[in-house]
Amino acid sequence: MDNFQKKFIEEAIDLINNLEEALLNLEKKPDDNELIAAVFRIMHSLKGGGGMFGFDDISHFTHNLETIYDEVRNNRLKLTEELLSVTFSAVDHLRNLLNTNALKDPLIKKNHDLLLQKVDNIQKNFETTNLSSEIESDINEKSETGEKTFFVQFIPHENIMDNGTNPLYLIDELCSLGKAQSYPKLNKIPLLAKFSPAKCYTFWEVILVTNKEINDLKGVFIFVEDESELQVIKLSDMDILSSKTIIEEFENKLLSDDKTDINKLQAFIKEQEAKIKTQKVSVIEKLSNFTKENVISSIRVDSEKIDQLMNLVSELVTTQASLSLYVEENQVYELNQLSENIENITRQLRDTAFSISLIPIETMLTRFHRLIRDLSFEFNKNIEFITEGAETELDKTLVQGLTDPLMHIIRNSVDHGIEPEQERLAKGKTPQGMIYLKAYYSGAHVVIKVQDDGRGINPAVIKQKAIEKDLISHDFQLTDKEILDLVFLPGFSTAEVITDVSGRGVGMDVVKKKIDEIRGTVDLESKVNVGTTITIKLPLTLSIIDGLLVELNKTKYVMPLNLVDKIYAVEHEKLTKSYNNLAIIDEEQIPFYNLREEFSVAGPAPQIEQLVTVKYEDKRVGLLVDNVIGEYQAVLKPLGKLFINHDIISGATILGDGTIALVLDTNKIIHEFSFKN
Amino acid sequence: MIDDEIIQSMNSYLSFKLGEEFFAVHVSKVLNILEMMPITAVPKSHDSIKGVINLRGSVLAVVDIRMKFDLAHSEFSKDTCILVLQVLINDEQIDVGAVVDSVHAVLEIDESQILPPPSVGVKYKSEFVTGIIKMDEKFIMILDIDKLFSLDNFITKLEDIHTEHKLI
Repeated sequence: MDNFQKKFIEEAIDLINNLEEALLNLEKKPDDNELIAAVFRIMHSLKGGGGMFGFDDISHFTHNLETIYDEVRNNRLKLTEELLSVTFSAVDHLRNLLNTNALKDPLIKKNHDLLLQKVDNIQKNFETTNLSSEIESDINEKSETGEKTFFVQFIPHENIMDNGTNPLYLIDELCSLGKAQSYPKLNKIPLLAKFSPAKCYTFWEVILVTNKEINDLKGVFIFVEDESELQVIKLSDMDILSSKTIIEEFENKLLSDDKTDINKLQAFIKEQEAKIKTQKVSVIEKLSNFTKENVISSIRVDSEKIDQLMNLVSELVTTQASLSLYVEENQVYELNQLSENIENITRQLRDTAFSISLIPIETMLTRFHRLIRDLSFEFNKNIEFITEGAETELDKTLVQGLTDPLMHIIRNSVDHGIEPEQERLAKGKTPQGMIYLKAYYSGAHVVIKVQDDGRGINPAVIKQKAIEKDLISHDFQLTDKEILDLVFLPGFSTAEVITDVSGRGVGMDVVKKKIDEIRGTVDLESKVNVGTTITIKLPLTLSIIDGLLVELNKTKYVMPLNLVDKIYAVEHEKLTKSYNNLAIIDEEQIPFYNLREEFSVAGPAPQIEQLVTVKYEDKRVGLLVDNVIGEYQAVLKPLGKLFINHDIISGATILGDGTIALVLDTNKIIHEFSFKN
Repeated sequence: MIDDEIIQSMNSYLSFKLGEEFFAVHVSKVLNILEMMPITAVPKSHDSIKGVINLRGSVLAVVDIRMKFDLAHSEFSKDTCILVLQVLINDEQIDVGAVVDSVHAVLEIDESQILPPPSVGVKYKSEFVTGIIKMDEKFIMILDIDKLFSLDNFITKLEDIHTEHKLI
């Protein structure tokens, strides 16, 4: 059962997200019947699923909402703003209710009761005005609830009336259970001479359409069962009485004064049923063909299985590297072709496996739409949220790590960035503010830009704040860009008034930390009264990178290949004589760091060293290594908890010969060394 | 009823040598004993972290616990081993490799044979040593490796290194 509940929770989260999305659209287009129907459908599924898997709170809670939306759907109730905002709160509450123990929390319980009351009120308001139509809809609803057709053959004993039983009453009672058609059979009645008025010669056959069970029907005859012949059988799961053609044919063909042959009757009904179904099937088939396409195009897979797949692929890549190494070292020509083939397939497998774990960033956008909607209300600001490139795909772990920082950035934009309407008008801006989120691919990276057309950030204010907080000293000469970067320092929060939304003492430093964790970079640009743009750059995937394998005194390191610019052979002596760690290469001065020195590597440096120039911000920076070995597909493995703050190394990778190479984070290395010097 | 084997393992300690001293850890903490293999040094890491090794496809940090006991560095010999220990750091079970000069034996020790660590004249910080066994005129110190590896000894040191670099 636990497993089913998990499945339901997964499904329910999807449903709730869909519901939220539909509601947001509905807010823009309140008359869209399809959206209303969608909202109703989702609620219906939630209610059904909830009830089935033991989430009674959800099922109960959704039931009332569903009823309301049913009315909206049937145009008997107008979709008001009040109703929408109650529904939005309900959506949030439903997320809480997925935790079966949620109602034990007094806060949630309080909210639960409050919401139920609100929903109740809406319903009551409606009921008093529309009592008559309510009843009508009730009846309609009943006819939809799984009715079956039964056939009852009741042949009372001749002496049934001796003890005061009136068989007609029994038939009446039976007929009252549902829709019924009764056929009294008179052929047993004898000639008048033999006729006794105290005896019952008639028997009955009844076709009954009801939602009751077979035992309920038999119960009617419980006191006469022993002395009568009673046959109750279920004819069909459909309502046969409502089909006139069946009844007519049935009456013509099978009805005589004699006892009806039950076998024949059943065969007949089956035949008729089949006919009806084929008529329906053609319609259903069209529908299911339509949905089939949707179903097969994507399947739901446990994310653990994907992780497992990724691990296996990673291991395969490592193993394949060993094989290549073996072939190369032992010059086994027969294996050469084979090894190359495997390398090829592994590469393809790797790419396919990676694409599986990618999900579009669209999945988190609904949340932002909702956030902006809610915050706009709260701050009384008029904001439009525009997104572009929602189909851009990212590794699922990245999406998870990205949601919080983006949420924070958007909150900042709404709270500090976008001005209130009056202020905007005074500045000659449009009354409606705009937040623009754009995602796109750029090389091996995904770039996400969040742009607003608000106040912007004033470098002078930032500088002042930084001095006040002792982050920099008075006489520091900084460019505007460098000043803006100060907001990423820990303990920097510019909000003058601490609001509920942003400025809880944590700010952009947390954003930066979170983005760093997923090996991304954040960049901030801002112009006063024009707006702020925050650019997040992320690697496409976390676990395998194309790297450049280099060597320092027999220890091997990997640099991310996408950052490597060029490799130069340089004489050791020339470089060490150079002043201020600047190398002149291609008639250009390039700052460089000697990794031997920085990493305190023992032993003498070789005569000819390799200078690898890497991209750092918009510059080129050289890193000096002993030797460059070549290109290498590195499967990133975490270094482990003991190195938790060791961020100049982004991980380790296992080489073909089983030894470990460390993967360098060149950005962090240069950043750190440049500060140190 | 508890299996004899379990009772035995409850009182089993693995003893090893660091320099001329004998130490022991409870066997439940030892996952594996590896022959010495090349260790990849991690630049800029804590002094007592020797580096990382490949343990069946995953990366294992290897630590030199000598430093904890102010023991001089010694050359690796054919007896040098890496003990793979399961350590509780910050409420998390973490596998860590520890370099030892040689592995001695698995000792079945009755609770009553374990003496409390002396409070005066201790050579080593007694916070790591939970008890002492006297055996064949030798003293074997029983280590609490969770404490030995506790956070303030490794990870905060790393933070220090970083804050040093990051100061403007």
